[in-house]
Amino acid sequence: MTVAIVLLTLLVGAWLLAVIEAWLTTGRLRPVAPLLAGLSHLGRESILARKPDRLFFETAPVLLLVVAVLGAAVLPLTPDLVIADLATGALFLNAVLAYVLVSLIMAGWGPNGAYAMIGGWRFLGQLIAYSMLIVMPITATAMRAESLLNSVIVESQAGLWNIVYQPLGFVLFFIAAMALAFRSPFDLPTAPGELAGGVDAEYTGVRLTVLRLARLVMLITLSAATTVFFLGGWQGPLLPPWAWSLIKTLAVAVSMLLVGYYLPRIREADLLGWCWKFGIPLALLNILIVGLLILVVP
Amino acid sequence: MVAQAFFVGVFGLAAIGFGVAVFRTASMVRSALALLFSQAAVGCMFLAMQAEFLGVLQIMMMATEMSIMAIFMVMFMMDPGGLGGMDMSHQKRFSIGAGAIAATTAISVALFSDWGPIFAEAPDAAMQTRELGFEMLDRSMLIFETAAITILTAMIAATAVAIPVRQPGVDTGKLDKENGDKEQEASK
Repeated sequence: MTVAIVLLTLLVGAWLLAVIEAWLTTGRLRPVAPLLAGLSHLGRESILARKPDRLFFETAPVLLLVVAVLGAAVLPLTPDLVIADLATGALFLNAVLAYVLVSLIMAGWGPNGAYAMIGGWRFLGQLIAYSMLIVMPITATAMRAESLLNSVIVESQAGLWNIVYQPLGFVLFFIAAMALAFRSPFDLPTAPGELAGGVDAEYTGVRLTVLRLARLVMLITLSAATTVFFLGGWQGPLLPPWAWSLIKTLAVAVSMLLVGYYLPRIREADLLGWCWKFGIPLALLNILIVGLLILVVP
Repeated sequence: MVAQAFFVGVFGLAAIGFGVAVFRTASMVRSALALLFSQAAVGCMFLAMQAEFLGVLQIMMMATEMSIMAIFMVMFMMDPGGLGGMDMSHQKRFSIGAGAIAATTAISVALFSDWGPIFAEAPDAAMQTRELGFEMLDRSMLIFETAAITILTAMIAATAVAIPVRQPGVDTGKLDKENGDKEQEASK
């Protein structure tokens, strides 16, 4: 039952975000458009490039979707509504998200196309930039909760949400999450207008539908992770816990879309430079501050 | 217990299968990712043996490490796609001998070692994480710190070696105005 609810939430969320994304870019609110687009993709020809690495080509979109869903599986929507509240939940999320890279390298290498390959390897460079900024802020939230259980991390924010307790960690995690979901301005692996779609370039038909769906589900998973780690999860007055989880997750996802809409795409070298020269020292500073707060404030 | 042994066996076989795949393919990326999935299967073996933290850690670390290895293999091999049907194996007889000896040694160590008393119940996952933490910051701290400092030193040294030396009159490969002018002169 829990699995069905979570999967349905992810599907509905993906549809909602697709509608909002189209609304942002075209200025028109068309609720049925994503469904029609998805259906029309199913009817289209699935083109296979010449001499592809068929195994990688077919696996990549499915792997990306599986990774996004597995990530959502350890994030509690309410105290009871979680597929698996693992004792290593926070670490598990990092572990599955590492496979986004594997999936994109497969998607880049598989079709035997130059643009796709550049996009795939670009994401490897992007990972070198963002990965520490995902791990270190999560570490600081786990330090405060004294647990890697995601439900305990939410409960540890009962008095004060982590966005107030460790605002530095929140900002870094928010930026890194956008880079991980390869959302604009960090959409270097797809880079429409520059790489002709990058890893998306050679995908058509059903495979492209799965790839796009996976990307939207990934955005929801990362927004839910931001909610769990920094926005107090299901906690809030008046409304039931599930409603708070959904509202906060949606708010984070929409804010990521908005930030992406207004910023120009960043250069790979700049991203690496900024992440390593400013991001990582700030993330270490965040861990130090949180450590001191835990020791000093009872 | 039976289910546990079954899954340890299944993931063990998967690890070996992917390990064989590493050498059976000519594509560098396939080879690297086969190694990744072999190591991830070892991580799954940890999970099946109720060592949750170690399993998840293994699965996480291998993803990035093997991907980075893949790009280095693509950079350095002359036929990274394997479309030319390159054979990666060499010194076959020696390798088979060495492999057989190593496998026999490993199996006999596993069979004939005194493993001490076997615990029927593993401590719960949260307790394991806690005990690992104390272990790493207590008895094993020196080992981990030594390894960490060594790796950091190697990284800094490698970066330092890779940066071109800035000396007047030495071509650093950078196209500055002065060098560009010289090249133009030379081409005339």
